[in-house]
Amino acid sequence: MSLDVAIVGLGETPYSRARADKGEIVMSAEQYAAWATSLALEEAGLSLRDMDGQGLAVAGTEWPHSEIWSAEVVQNLGFRPKLLLRGDFGGNNAVELAVQAAAAIRSGLVDYVLVLGADSPMTPFGTQTARSWRYDIDYMRPFGLMGFVTLAGLMMNRHMSAYGTKVEHFGKIAVTQREHARLNPGAYVKAPLTMEDYLKSRVLSDPLRLLDSVMFVNGGIAFLMTGREKASRASKQPVYLRGYGLAHNYVEGDPAMPDVTTTGVKAAARDALQMAGATPADLDFLQLYDDFTGAVLMQIEDIGFCAKGDGGKFLDRTDISYKGELPVNTGGGLLSNGQPGMAAGLVHVAEAVRQLRGEASGRQVSGAKLGLVSGLGGLAYGNNLANSGALVLGVM
Amino acid sequence: MSEKPLPEITPLNKPFWDAAARHELLVQRCKRCGRFVWYPRGSCPYCGSRDLEWVKPRETGTIYAVTVVRVVVGNSPAWEKEMPYAVAIVDMDDGFRIYGRVLGAKPEEVRPGMRVRVDFEDISTGVAVPVFRPLP
Ligand SMILES: [Zn+2]
Repeated sequence: MSLDVAIVGLGETPYSRARADKGEIVMSAEQYAAWATSLALEEAGLSLRDMDGQGLAVAGTEWPHSEIWSAEVVQNLGFRPKLLLRGDFGGNNAVELAVQAAAAIRSGLVDYVLVLGADSPMTPFGTQTARSWRYDIDYMRPFGLMGFVTLAGLMMNRHMSAYGTKVEHFGKIAVTQREHARLNPGAYVKAPLTMEDYLKSRVLSDPLRLLDSVMFVNGGIAFLMTGREKASRASKQPVYLRGYGLAHNYVEGDPAMPDVTTTGVKAAARDALQMAGATPADLDFLQLYDDFTGAVLMQIEDIGFCAKGDGGKFLDRTDISYKGELPVNTGGGLLSNGQPGMAAGLVHVAEAVRQLRGEASGRQVSGAKLGLVSGLGGLAYGNNLANSGALVLGVM
Repeated sequence: MSEKPLPEITPLNKPFWDAAARHELLVQRCKRCGRFVWYPRGSCPYCGSRDLEWVKPRETGTIYAVTVVRVVVGNSPAWEKEMPYAVAIVDMDDGFRIYGRVLGAKPEEVRPGMRVRVDFEDISTGVAVPVFRPLP
């Protein structure tokens, strides 16, 4: 199967809400980009100048709101890449950029691509309010909608009313991911979380609670991809890209009035698994994009672990902890790590790489050889999210 | 005193906002495939035709999903004094989908499947947005 591109270096900074009064790290996106890059190159045994004429694929940012961010980043870091890619895919940045990087490596254009996401939505001005997209400005904000919070509430409401899903099902996802975060030295949120705490947490937009949704953090993640020949000489165990799939503006049902409980990960994961010659049952873990708990439940259905609508019942009978039948978001996911702005999808790649290398101390999935990472980005109008993707990653 | 957020009027969306100010709903319809198009586009997202006309659709629809908005996030604090309120996805009888507030019922009592009719709410002088009211 396709084993011609691999991840051979990983860098992940600590995450921070930039609370100087609590002794937290206060840094801006440029510093996180530099930090994550040097960690990834160091692990791969490469110097900055080894990247001359290679590729850099950089995610956009909440802060700064730069129109030429990729051009700034190469100058800031002193990169002189032949190939420069910028991600404009929100929560699907990691998957999209990894797929583009793999295509560039396979074509022979470059030997290495560093995929980089670094963002500081909390710095320097506190939570940044990004300039929004057209239909949010014109047909959502003046209509009384609160962006992500309202849309997530609507999707979860639909799942509950159509299929009888209960808030406790969403709660199980939040509680399990927090248990994982407590075992992950790199996770940001460590406070214990019970179902009772979850049910008591503030409702933002019914049924979406505070503990169903992510909060912004600052941070940076980078991973280095290369072809098979160079990967085999890497100091760390290469993690191979076994399959991938992408879907944009995915529609389930009537295109004018689609099913909002189905994500484009349905198509992306199907393609990724087919390329990998695998079935859902072959996956040792899932790292699912989790800007809200409902998205995790919907993706479990969409990947094929149960029928659409049966996600709640599936969770009733399935242990999704790192030692369970279907480990999901084993590092705590974004729900417990926070969302490092537009770099968020890279958090899931980082956890997948650690699991496959056997480096996920305290939360290691026993014998993990094959896992799936998903991405979801771009809140759509009247649909689920607009950008979706899946990577199947594996070790020999 | 903060104000409710105003749309940016463009050559594309001006017919909608002009009609809304008169409390009339105008949406696009594709002259090639006949489908209604909301929100305003430069071409039909179903068949690609640029031949779109502005028409008055039937003003009734069915609630597909609903949420009760309880906090301001990424929007004007002006909404706070009206909270909690219901926001719904409404599937209109002419086959298009639109978001809007549901007024005239207790927010917690608004349910998917409920039949609604379009009304308008002035959010500023000369600027009105569609809202929905339950049909009896
Ligand atoms: Zn058409």
